Amino acid sequence: MADGDIKNYFDPKVLAGISNLYLRARWVVEGIISGIHKSRAKGFSVEFEAHREYSPGDEIRRIDWKALGKFDRYFIKEYEDETNLRAYLCLDASASMDYASDGVTKFDYGCTLTASLAYLILRQQDAAGLVTFSNRIESFVPPRAKRDYLTQILRALENRGPAGETNVGKILEEVAGQIKRRGLIILVSDLLDEPEPILKALRLFRFKGNDVIVFHLLDPAELELPFEGNILFEDMEALDLRVVADPRAIRKTYRQVVDEFVSEMRKQCHDSAIDYQLISTNTPLDKALASYLSWRG
Amino acid sequence: MSVFFLHPIYLYGLLAASLPILIHLLNRRRMKRIRFPAVRFILLSQKRISRSYRLRHWLLLALRTTAIILLALLLANPIFQTGAGLFAGGGTVSLVILLDNSLSMTWSGDGSGFKQAKEAARLLIASLNDGDRAALIPTNISGKEAFRLKEEKEVLLRELQAIEIADGTANFTAALDKAYELLNVPAGQREIRLITDMGLTGWDQFSIAALKQYDPSIPLKAIRVSAKQKPLNGAVKEVKLGGQGAGVNLPLQIEAVLANFGAAEIKDLLVQLSIDGETKEQKLATVPPRGETSVNFQSRLAKPGSHMGEITLKKEGFAGTPRTYFALHAQDKLHVLVVDGDPQTALVRSESFFLSRALNPTGDQHSSLYLPTVIVADGLGAAALESYQVVALCNVAALTDAVAQKLRNYLSQGGGLLIFGGDRLQSDSYNQKMTQALPAPLREKKIAPEASAEKIGKIDVTHPALENFADAILQESLASSRVWGYFRGDGAGKSALISLANGDPLVAEQKVGIGRVVFIATSADRDWTDLPLKTAYLPLVQGLTNYLAGGKRGALDGGVQVGGTKEILLAPGVVGKSLRITKPNRQETEVGIVADRDRSIARFEENDRAGFYRITLPAGAEKDTGAPPLYAVNPPFLESRLDEINEGELQAKLRPIQVEVIPVEAVEQGGKRTDLALPLLALLIVILLFEGWLAQRF
Repeated sequence: MADGDIKNYFDPKVLAGISNLYLRARWVVEGIISGIHKSRAKGFSVEFEAHREYSPGDEIRRIDWKALGKFDRYFIKEYEDETNLRAYLCLDASASMDYASDGVTKFDYGCTLTASLAYLILRQQDAAGLVTFSNRIESFVPPRAKRDYLTQILRALENRGPAGETNVGKILEEVAGQIKRRGLIILVSDLLDEPEPILKALRLFRFKGNDVIVFHLLDPAELELPFEGNILFEDMEALDLRVVADPRAIRKTYRQVVDEFVSEMRKQCHDSAIDYQLISTNTPLDKALASYLSWRG
Repeated sequence: MSVFFLHPIYLYGLLAASLPILIHLLNRRRMKRIRFPAVRFILLSQKRISRSYRLRHWLLLALRTTAIILLALLLANPIFQTGAGLFAGGGTVSLVILLDNSLSMTWSGDGSGFKQAKEAARLLIASLNDGDRAALIPTNISGKEAFRLKEEKEVLLRELQAIEIADGTANFTAALDKAYELLNVPAGQREIRLITDMGLTGWDQFSIAALKQYDPSIPLKAIRVSAKQKPLNGAVKEVKLGGQGAGVNLPLQIEAVLANFGAAEIKDLLVQLSIDGETKEQKLATVPPRGETSVNFQSRLAKPGSHMGEITLKKEGFAGTPRTYFALHAQDKLHVLVVDGDPQTALVRSESFFLSRALNPTGDQHSSLYLPTVIVADGLGAAALESYQVVALCNVAALTDAVAQKLRNYLSQGGGLLIFGGDRLQSDSYNQKMTQALPAPLREKKIAPEASAEKIGKIDVTHPALENFADAILQESLASSRVWGYFRGDGAGKSALISLANGDPLVAEQKVGIGRVVFIATSADRDWTDLPLKTAYLPLVQGLTNYLAGGKRGALDGGVQVGGTKEILLAPGVVGKSLRITKPNRQETEVGIVADRDRSIARFEENDRAGFYRITLPAGAEKDTGAPPLYAVNPPFLESRLDEINEGELQAKLRPIQVEVIPVEAVEQGGKRTDLALPLLALLIVILLFEGWLAQRF
């Protein structure tokens, strides 16, 4: 398979054409795995720990046949127990996530990303759970390590479209209160809310010993403000918030404002040892997942 | 300094300057609505750039508007002009120079105003380039003259040389009409220059509504000639004839009313009366500021007929019409036929003695306006009554039918009849034969002893015949008279000029056709009254005689104003013929005589110079017409007034024509024109570049 073909797997537009979220997640993950093999990158599957000699009762399929050829004795591959990881996938489902300047809404993109992560986590026999929220928790799927648990997560994702206002900080604090064991918190959100409560909640996760990854989703139009002419902008969440502006006149300043916002978030996250990843919804999914994979080591 | 446009029609393009604003407003109406998640970032951005953004926005709008304005101005091709403007650049010129040659220019510019005006006109003509055309029009025209634009400078300069100061007021309406008529042709650049002293009188008579045509797009510049100092300024307002009029060898009273137009008193102004070129009398007068004063002259005319009168004003530094002309038409002696009905061998006892003495007190036939001829009653039938203006019947007993008829005819032709009573007068004869001529039928004689004589009761001093008795002394003299014998009449007091104390009329009047009759109920001598011995008798007799003869003797004719029309009334028999007018410059003009109701009339309009105009009547018509042989023409009285119209008033008068007033020195100092198209184009390019750069920064 050529490089170009592989990239196509992760094109958000291509993925948007796949209506089944499971297939979409699988497509992404399998594509990534395939790409990694081809690139001889570090392994990521169940982690090999050591060999031990075969003893009766061991599963025949776990015998390392290569070692038999080399040493002429039966060895069994021992793997690291991976059920230690409990990942909470927190997806923002507020109305602002319903925005798409070019076909793929932030919510669609976030769903695919979340599903792919869940698939990947469960495939590694880790426990994955899901929280969707707007200004309240819309659904909560506690983490499990079962393979078929993915169905439940995907059902929760598909169950509800984006709606309502955002209150990321408050929701994350609520989630933090419900988590009893340390784990991995993955936040997928456009973060269009007051930054301080969000950062405070993220720091709380960290304080409790969790690892945190933030996928900051923004539409290219939100980053670039590419519109022309006089436009009446109406906020997607606060309906009484509207403003007339000539994008051409404010574009430069707007980009500065967005950059400052992103930089501040990135800095604050970095200071709190939180992985922060800004993702435009036209970014291929493999690059988005790379952040997780680099964390997973 | 001024700016004008070669193609002003393109200035309508300035309306397009509103387009950027309209587009801006339309864009605001047609704006899109977008639901957007990051509105808070937009708000934040706007807040940050608000001030500079708005500034740039308005700057951009201003630049675009300015660019359109500049484009419109560029197309209109503005020309910047300094001074009176010489014609450098801007294409060929069609120029009309209006030269104010009204009388007031005589005194403008400290006496050299007209010279300065002509020099300014010469400079303008000299500055014309090849292909330029010009016309020179004096302001004192009738409007019938023909003018044309011409390229030949030499011809224009000769025309300029020939223009002289006129005696009248500027006719700005006719001059501007001509100018706009000449410029109503396609031309690159059309202009009007009016060189004037801004005299108020000419502009007072101007109204924009009277112009037949005008074009506000043609620049009009008034080149002003003005005095540095205000001179003493006045004129003769009116010349009046006083006394008993103008009669041969009689005292002639002439009153000249002088007006001072200035704010300073005019002292020691020499005022001179001349008649037929001979100085008769001169006086020094003082005229108060903005006021009037009268100067009276006494003189005497030796010959009957028309005389040329002239009032001359002389003073160093005085500005105003120096000469005022008037015609004096002197009446020869008034012929009175006195018919004595009771002649005596002793003259003093004759019925007519006191009457004839009252008419000619000295007995010298040259010293009185009246020339009485005394005849006896029997001679009345043979007398040629048409030779006399008045016939006085003094105690004439009876009238034959022939005499009565003769008197009636005389009255119907406008004669005057004075009838005195007396002991010989037969009332029946008068009542029968002169019924229509008597104020009332005569009744009985009333004779009383002298001691119980009647007093004078009432005197009608408002009657023209008795106007002398407005004087209290004369009135007292008349009132002191006593009457002890008189004829009573019916309808007592109906038309009485003088009544007795008992109410009976003493003097009564009757009009017969155009003739007049005055009946005095008492005697002309001392038989029935002591009136002939009173001081009042002479003015009474002369006043009644004058009245019966048709009023004052002679006349003073102030004539017409320069530019006015003289109407000469003539007898009906000369219709179709023509008379000849000889102007002061000896130029002769034939004027046709036309019918006018029951008369004939000749109208002469070319009274363009001050002075005396002589009338030569058609052969054979001299005796019948009664027209005077000359008349006077004077400059308009107000033309001597040197008050000026100011620029604001002039602009208001000429609106919508745009006028700019510049001093004559501006022409003398020259000036030049600069085509502003190139600088404007450069500015437009700079603005467009700046606009483009600024637009990119948004």
